[in-house]
Amino acid sequence: MDAEIKKNLVDPLVDNNPITWQILGICSALAVTTSMNTALLMSLALTTVVALSNFSISLVRDHTPGSIRIIVQMIIIASLVIIVDQFMRAYAFDTAKKLSVFVGLIITNCIVMGRAEAYAMSHGPKLSFFDGLGNGLGYSLVLLIVAFIRELFGAGSLFGVQIFELTKDGGWYQSNGLLLLPPSAFFIIGLLIWVIRTFKPAQVEQPTFRIHEEINPQLV
Amino acid sequence: MLRKLLDSIGPSFHEGGKFERFYILYEAVDTLLYSPPETTPHAPHARDAMDLKRVMGYVWLATFPVILMACWNTGFQANSAMAAMGTGELEGWRGALLGGIGYDPASFFANFLHGLTYFLPIYLTTFIVGGLAEVVFSFVRGHEVNEGFFVTSILYTLTMPPSIPLWMVSLGIIFGVVIGKEVFGGTGKNFLNPALVGRAFLFFAYPAAISGDSVWVAADGYSGATPLAAAAAGGMEQVAAGGYSWFDAFIGFIPGSIGETSTLAILIGGAMLLITRIASWRIVSGVFIGMVATSLLLNLIGSDTNPMFSMPFWWHLVTGGFAFGMIFMATDPVTAAHTNAGRWWFGILIGFMVVMIRVVNPAYPEGMMLAILFANIFAPLIDHFVVQANVRRRLKRQTQRA
Amino acid sequence: MGFLKKLFDMPNDSRVKTVLVAFLLCLVCSLLVSTAAVALRPVQEANKLADKRRNILEIAGMMQEGADVNELFKQIEPRVIDLDTGEYVDDVDATAYDQRKASKDPAQSKALASDEDIASIRRRADKATVYLVRNGDEVETIILPVHGYGLWSTMYGFMALEGDGQTVKGFGFYEQAETPGLGGEVDNPNWKALWHGKQVYDENGNVALQVIKGSVGDATPDPEHKVDGLAGASLTSRGVSNLVKYWLGERGFKPFLEQFKG
Repeated sequence: MDAEIKKNLVDPLVDNNPITWQILGICSALAVTTSMNTALLMSLALTTVVALSNFSISLVRDHTPGSIRIIVQMIIIASLVIIVDQFMRAYAFDTAKKLSVFVGLIITNCIVMGRAEAYAMSHGPKLSFFDGLGNGLGYSLVLLIVAFIRELFGAGSLFGVQIFELTKDGGWYQSNGLLLLPPSAFFIIGLLIWVIRTFKPAQVEQPTFRIHEEINPQLV
Repeated sequence: MLRKLLDSIGPSFHEGGKFERFYILYEAVDTLLYSPPETTPHAPHARDAMDLKRVMGYVWLATFPVILMACWNTGFQANSAMAAMGTGELEGWRGALLGGIGYDPASFFANFLHGLTYFLPIYLTTFIVGGLAEVVFSFVRGHEVNEGFFVTSILYTLTMPPSIPLWMVSLGIIFGVVIGKEVFGGTGKNFLNPALVGRAFLFFAYPAAISGDSVWVAADGYSGATPLAAAAAGGMEQVAAGGYSWFDAFIGFIPGSIGETSTLAILIGGAMLLITRIASWRIVSGVFIGMVATSLLLNLIGSDTNPMFSMPFWWHLVTGGFAFGMIFMATDPVTAAHTNAGRWWFGILIGFMVVMIRVVNPAYPEGMMLAILFANIFAPLIDHFVVQANVRRRLKRQTQRA
Repeated sequence: MGFLKKLFDMPNDSRVKTVLVAFLLCLVCSLLVSTAAVALRPVQEANKLADKRRNILEIAGMMQEGADVNELFKQIEPRVIDLDTGEYVDDVDATAYDQRKASKDPAQSKALASDEDIASIRRRADKATVYLVRNGDEVETIILPVHGYGLWSTMYGFMALEGDGQTVKGFGFYEQAETPGLGGEVDNPNWKALWHGKQVYDENGNVALQVIKGSVGDATPDPEHKVDGLAGASLTSRGVSNLVKYWLGERGFKPFLEQFKG
């Protein structure tokens, strides 16, 4: 049992990471990673939602009629997202304002729905909770790495605290504007996947086709 | 003699030799100088004196007129600006080098040398840093160093503004080589032009250093709008007010990126490429026709608020990076469309997009770089449709015959 | 409890159970959601108000590190004015009036013809909230809400004027989405500081304050009316010029400001 929990927690961090391996939840990863503050808050929100939704969906799984299964999951997820959103507006107003619509969009985040359907519907509440927690942490890990790079090199700061003195304020660091634009997160996630697959060759996909080294003249 | 030298040191680079690990470097030098001795043992046999190295060599040669004009004009613009501002002497190493020659904008020699002090550092930086990235990948991947980089490096250099800091040049070329080419498997497998990827990176990362009014003339504190920027701000009247005639822009007496200013020099290089059939005349014609058609259409539509609508096509031709992109960038055989019909559409798409970006998009007065990258992405799709159409046509012919 | 047990015992795909489960789930979820929403509303409202107040205070240069926003804001007096006449309107509650909402409501705003809409805002509310800082009886600072279109986005900000309605005390935006590094530099404190002390109107009473191309040097005529352009962002700069011209002009706050120029 404990080994199972540990596996649920650790596996999604690198080996089975929802972003870099399953390529899910990319949209919000592009949008909220311009600063560590927003990325951290978004990570917290998503981890909370996915852990709790997995837990509650697993709790009612034995009494969920198959015909309204998806609707039941949606209602639970949506309610949790709204509650989390309300809390953030009350207690983390400045950062929540910047996250704007992306908290609400957790409802449609593939990671949450995916875990509910793939795991929580067939496992007990305790295991499901840790599975959700693990996936949320895997998502958070990638988000924070991307945000770290984007904020540090894009704005010269971390958590809003200036680390590199910018040239426009008389310092030495010329901020990189590309990193503040959403496409840069694509590059960073892509490079991250590259790094992971270099160390974990098991994740490399089979090529869809192969160029022949040499054609056997006997066959031509 | 050189052959002998290469042959004598050859064995130590081959398998089992002392310098086996550096074989790719030996191979690069060897095959650049001489045709490789290996022949294809089996069919098909392509009978052609052209191999990839020769092709790249020709393109490199074709940029020479552009490089000459680039050096002269960069110096001319800088010297004129210095004369206008009353700056007598330069500080630093440039001042030390050029002090004896002077900064007279009327002197060919002074202009050329002054321009050279901007062109050469950028080129060397590009070559060394980008080459290093290339070699590192060759070692890791175990493939040969590819001469494609000779072309990429010179084209990239020619699209830089003269005043760009060298560390940005390095970052851009690394990004271009790694993200634009190597991650897709190296030369021949990239779908975007690596030189343009590098430039696009700088364009979005450090917009202040590669757009605006103050980066095109290599003199500190001098603000000189390119004719294209002037046209975007106030129409053709403002271009005329800036003192630029069409002929100035054609020959290349205007501020701009190092190599893009002289349409004349570009066309001379272009003629070389077209005659040797290295550049596809279909692509070049497509770009030109697309641009003319779109600008004529926009001339016809007209606009009260956007003066760019009325910009005639002969001005589109000589301003910004249009000519340079049409001749040297769009014709890159790897990233363009591969079918003949596809090449027409590929070119037309570029011509259309460049005018649309220049005229309709308020943020970017120049659109050539983005238009070519855009069309690069669509090239495989265009080819797919051309091939499918061909398949359908032949199928129809077959069924009719049957 | 007997009811729940009976429900649990039913087969999952029975129609009655489907309806009941759906109903129960909705009931529980809606209870949770509405409890959270109602319980947290006061805190959220207070946040929103404090946020707006902080923006105003920052632009007026009255923000102090670590001080309580609401406490500082007590020095500021919000008033609603009628933009056409420039008179105060006393029957509207200044703390509750939302100019942004009003400018979308046809009953409280008017559409602008394209030749008068230089700031590209399409509709203008009939009334606006201005903020006054008094020193005794004298009005020391007038803070005006302004907005207009830049390159990609509508920029919302405040302009703070001295009591003479002529000298700029501060200027800045609290909401904009211009290109980072170029137009986004409207948020650069160095650039915002350039506005301090500039004069709004020329001797004929026309708005002369504007952002120019390039920078203001010794050779620039009337430097007291000119502010440096943002490098590489001519369209954002033009947008700022236009919105200043609009909001300080005849159709903006000029009728109101006339009263302060004795």
